[in-house]
Amino acid sequence: MGNSEIIITILREFPYALYGSIIVGLLCAFLGVYIVAKRVVFLGAVLTQVSVLGLAITFLPITPLSHSLGSLIVTLIAVIILSRLLTGKKIPRDAVLGFVFVFSIAVRILVLQKTEQVETSEIENLLRGDILFVTPDLFYIMLAVFVGAMAVHLLFFKEFTYISFDAETAGTQGFKATFWEMVFYVIAAIVIATATHMVGDIFVFGFLVIPPLAGLLLAKRVKLIFLISMLIGTLSPLLGLFLAFKFDFPSSPAIVAVASALLAAAWTANMARKA
Amino acid sequence: MAPLIEFQNATLGYGRKVVLHDISFAIHAGDYFGMVGPNGAGKTTLLRAILGALKPLAGEVHVRAETSGEPLRFGYVPQRDSIDSILPYTVQEVVMMGRYREVGLLRSPRQKDSDIVRESLRHVDIEDLHNFAFRELSGGQKQRVLIARALATKPAILILDEPTNGMDLSSRISILELIRKLHDEDQMTVILVTHLLDDVANYVKRVAIVERNFFQVGNVDEVLTEENLSTLYQMPIQVAHLNGSKLILAGGVRGK
Repeated sequence: MGNSEIIITILREFPYALYGSIIVGLLCAFLGVYIVAKRVVFLGAVLTQVSVLGLAITFLPITPLSHSLGSLIVTLIAVIILSRLLTGKKIPRDAVLGFVFVFSIAVRILVLQKTEQVETSEIENLLRGDILFVTPDLFYIMLAVFVGAMAVHLLFFKEFTYISFDAETAGTQGFKATFWEMVFYVIAAIVIATATHMVGDIFVFGFLVIPPLAGLLLAKRVKLIFLISMLIGTLSPLLGLFLAFKFDFPSSPAIVAVASALLAAAWTANMARKA
Repeated sequence: MAPLIEFQNATLGYGRKVVLHDISFAIHAGDYFGMVGPNGAGKTTLLRAILGALKPLAGEVHVRAETSGEPLRFGYVPQRDSIDSILPYTVQEVVMMGRYREVGLLRSPRQKDSDIVRESLRHVDIEDLHNFAFRELSGGQKQRVLIARALATKPAILILDEPTNGMDLSSRISILELIRKLHDEDQMTVILVTHLLDDVANYVKRVAIVERNFFQVGNVDEVLTEENLSTLYQMPIQVAHLNGSKLILAGGVRGK
């Protein structure tokens, strides 16, 4: 298949995969800048695994929830519980996150052992996020989440900026640090749960980390870091899907590989600039 | 004139844990007030009560709602090491954060806010640093940026938490002189929290020794005595004078 044929095929046959992966890439790359800046990258990894657990639970015969709703509810519950556990002083934060991470994976495996509805491979495909088979319904849910999350972040940019930079002083000026932190994490949970259902955990976690890192390496201004991160979040799915078709790769890993290659290029450019 | 802040038989603590018991003192407009005490003695607890983040377990804490017809605002300067910025916010952006409250919800800073930011930077002599990344500045420069941000809130009271901690001598003196200038020339009420006795001994006018069972308030000469300090730190401490400055020496012979 020629290059132009691949592009036409993607546009005609898999528009939801293309546009869906772009909006997930864009949104995760944006939120990821805050997640990296707050030094809570592991929380991103944990929430992706929790949302996968939520998805797995919906396969149990006793669960009446849809996949999207199940994933969302479990992730939101996890965020609320984590917000309490992570403020304690007795147990280190990373130990709490480590526990939730391994617990989610272990329970997911146990849950899948007890599901008989469909073939295990089919479930694994869903858990990993099969980009090419993104349904219109799922795409429009993701689009709504994208619009909502970006709107809240743009409207309350000052609050998120101040709280992430210096929550203590923001609190003395009347900004409710705990409230805004919770808003941030609830939005992150909704995005991660919806996006993981749509494109899988590797894609979501990858885009929470890789594009922001490239932005940090290349830019010396905060706005530029966001822009570069979001640019990589947009370009990587485009190029990744193309390469996945051309070389018959699975789409999510191909997209993450492209983002990683762009990160490597950013790192090289940064080294060259310093030399 | 009524004090700006008044503690009346206030007991402060967390849950059942009492940190400071039955304390009474007041801070008036124009005060330069120091809070000194060992680490963990309750300085932060007292600060939280002043800022309204901690309600007293007993007694009362009154903070005046307004002064000179304006709402009473605190300009808080946190310990600079508590700010761990991965993102390269510029000095201008950091100081603008001090205006966010006034800018209000769903609005962007206006020209007036930018002018106040410039004025605050000029006030602490770092206008030329406005485009530099905060994270790349020296300790003394960072402290000036945080003071400028506090000034940008147009505060009635400037509160500084350990502003000279970990600084070299010249940066430390430079910051203390800047705070003195803000107090003397702008008639700003200042609360300086520190564990460094020399900082309060030679700069503030009134001081509180903060310790659970040893809370003392008064003028510097009345409170920072060898007897009080030796009791506070459980070791002999000598207060000497050199060229008009007080020197506080640990390990001196008590009473001599």
